[in-house]
Amino acid sequence: MHLHSFVLKDVFRRKTKLVVAVLGVAVAAAAIVAVVTTFSAATEGFHEASNKFGANIIVRPEVESIPLVDGYTSMGSLYAGNNYIEESDIPKIYNIKDNASLSIVAPRLYGVAELDGSSIVVMGVDPEQEKQLKPWWNIRGQWLSSEDTGPVEVLVGSDIAGPLGLGKGSMIALSKDDQSLEAKIAGVIESTGGNEDAYIIMPLAASQYLLSQEGKVSSLEVRALCNACPVEDMSQQIEGAFPGLEARAMSQIVQNEMMVVDHTKSSAMAVSIITLLVSTLTVASTMLASVNEKIKEIGIMRAIGASDMQIVSMLFLEGGIIGLVGGSIGFLVGTLASYAAAPMLVSVTPDPMWDVLIPVVAICMLTGMIASLAPARRALGIDPAEVLRSV
Amino acid sequence: MSDNYDVIQVTNVTKSYSLGSGEVEVLHGIDLTVRNGEFVSIMGPSGSGKTTLMNLIGMLDSPTRGSVRINGANISGLSQKELVKLRRKEVGFIFQQFHLIPSLTAYENVALPLVFAGEKNDGAVESAMERVGLSYRMDHKPSELSGGEQQRVAIARAVVMRPKILLADEPTGALDAATGARIISLLKSLAGEMTVIMVTHNRELAGHSDRIIELQDGDVREQGEQQIRINESKMGVIV
Ligand SMILES: Nc1ncnc2c1ncn2[C@@H]1O[C@H](COP(=O)(O)OP(=O)(O)OP(=O)(O)O)[C@@H](O)[C@H]1O
Ligand SMILES: [Mg+2]
Repeated sequence: MHLHSFVLKDVFRRKTKLVVAVLGVAVAAAAIVAVVTTFSAATEGFHEASNKFGANIIVRPEVESIPLVDGYTSMGSLYAGNNYIEESDIPKIYNIKDNASLSIVAPRLYGVAELDGSSIVVMGVDPEQEKQLKPWWNIRGQWLSSEDTGPVEVLVGSDIAGPLGLGKGSMIALSKDDQSLEAKIAGVIESTGGNEDAYIIMPLAASQYLLSQEGKVSSLEVRALCNACPVEDMSQQIEGAFPGLEARAMSQIVQNEMMVVDHTKSSAMAVSIITLLVSTLTVASTMLASVNEKIKEIGIMRAIGASDMQIVSMLFLEGGIIGLVGGSIGFLVGTLASYAAAPMLVSVTPDPMWDVLIPVVAICMLTGMIASLAPARRALGIDPAEVLRSV
Repeated sequence: MSDNYDVIQVTNVTKSYSLGSGEVEVLHGIDLTVRNGEFVSIMGPSGSGKTTLMNLIGMLDSPTRGSVRINGANISGLSQKELVKLRRKEVGFIFQQFHLIPSLTAYENVALPLVFAGEKNDGAVESAMERVGLSYRMDHKPSELSGGEQQRVAIARAVVMRPKILLADEPTGALDAATGARIISLLKSLAGEMTVIMVTHNRELAGHSDRIIELQDGDVREQGEQQIRINESKMGVIV
């Protein structure tokens, strides 16, 4: 038999007390785990969303624009006004200082054309660059071929393809003012929930022809190479290279949203930590009560050879066990709670954060031990001579 | 060291307790010497200081004045740590109310002093349980044992470390006469191997010991074959 098995037996003998103390810790741990899990999931959701921008810098003329932002996901922008970027200017972007970080530079031309008598948005793209920006698009059919032979190929958003019964291989006739264009559908983009659902996407040259905007692009979608790129710096460098253009780091939008989340997270965390403090008091008072209950027993143990250290370590062990059990239960409950609540609160379903299990349990064990300090002091004050006399 | 040496030497010991504004002197300069292996009974009316004396011998308390020597070592000169060590090794306690730990089985209760001393059980628990005739009750909880059986487990716990001194404060106080007599004969069988000091109010049971020491308010009587001296023992209040 070891000291710790003795402590275990003793702890489990006083089940009701144990349950109260453990619950105190578990509630605090659950609160912390739920906050951490929910908000990490939210943060991750934002990062994913920010990746889905496709570009993290958007370069466009300084004109009034109608940003198409849905929640925290930007779907690009529509521009009012007649300012365009000269296609021939695009290579200048590679003169910026951080040019090594430029991985994708995707020019786009937006405009409105007629299809079967109704207006639709046409987006001209560089097929190669655009494909890298939209890796998550599912295409029924093929991506735009970059070859110039054969008829013009287009991609059609699902909101257009569905009602018109268009599919891979269908031919469509687009027109804008005097211009008209026969195009073959290379593929239909499966619904992304984004604006491209209502777009017709075609090679840049074809769109410039159709929209009568030869040599013009509406915007450049720029993707920096790395995650931690100095996007803000890079946008300033780009603005320097293109006088009259505005380069906007799209992560700003995400950052604003993130700030709101961070604020909420901080207050939720503060509440959790207060809960933890309260639970320390619960554990401390429960253990103090049990020490008071065991005054005689502790006196006996000292009489039969327990040292001060052993008495104290038994109480610390008890506090630690309460923390361990409470922390583990709390982790489980907190994870389940965030699993249930996060979809409603932050529209994401979190995964269990196994990597916080050990820190949380460790914090709870520490809490339990801190809570044992007062009971330990009390226990050390017990004079066996006194206790044994008052049989 | 010969077998016949003084295992306990209490010299001119005074013990007072502070009580509110004044002091209560419980022991007034006691002298007591106990030989190794002796079986000594301490008798006296309630409040005469019997338990106080036992606590001093058991190193649970220290004298206000005078010296208590266990195995020749003056306990007043020992640190708290040394006292714990010496107590583990040299002293076993038995109490009127048995004082077993209720959550532990008989076996575990007996093993507890070994646990505290950090020693492995190399059969000491089993032989102690056998010694008190309870080998068949190892896995019983105290609540599943009779009073007499509980006291025998307590005796096994007191002797498991093979101490030199066994201190029994009214070990039969909570038992019926027949059971009490069994406990006394068990203690008697242990005497010789170790020194047994027993507090009792029962003169007949005390008669089984080698000698009887009487603590009494201002009156000290001694019986038995050996010469002992108790200078004075009485309760007084000095305000
Ligand atoms: N901590 C203390 N403070 C004040 N007085 C005390 C203290 N401990 C013991 N006393 C007093 O010392 C006296 C002797 O107590 P002790 O317990 O040694 O008596 P006893 O002979 O064992 O009595 P009993 O036969 O009832 O067990 C008593 O009057 C008691 O009130
Ligand atoms: Mg007494």
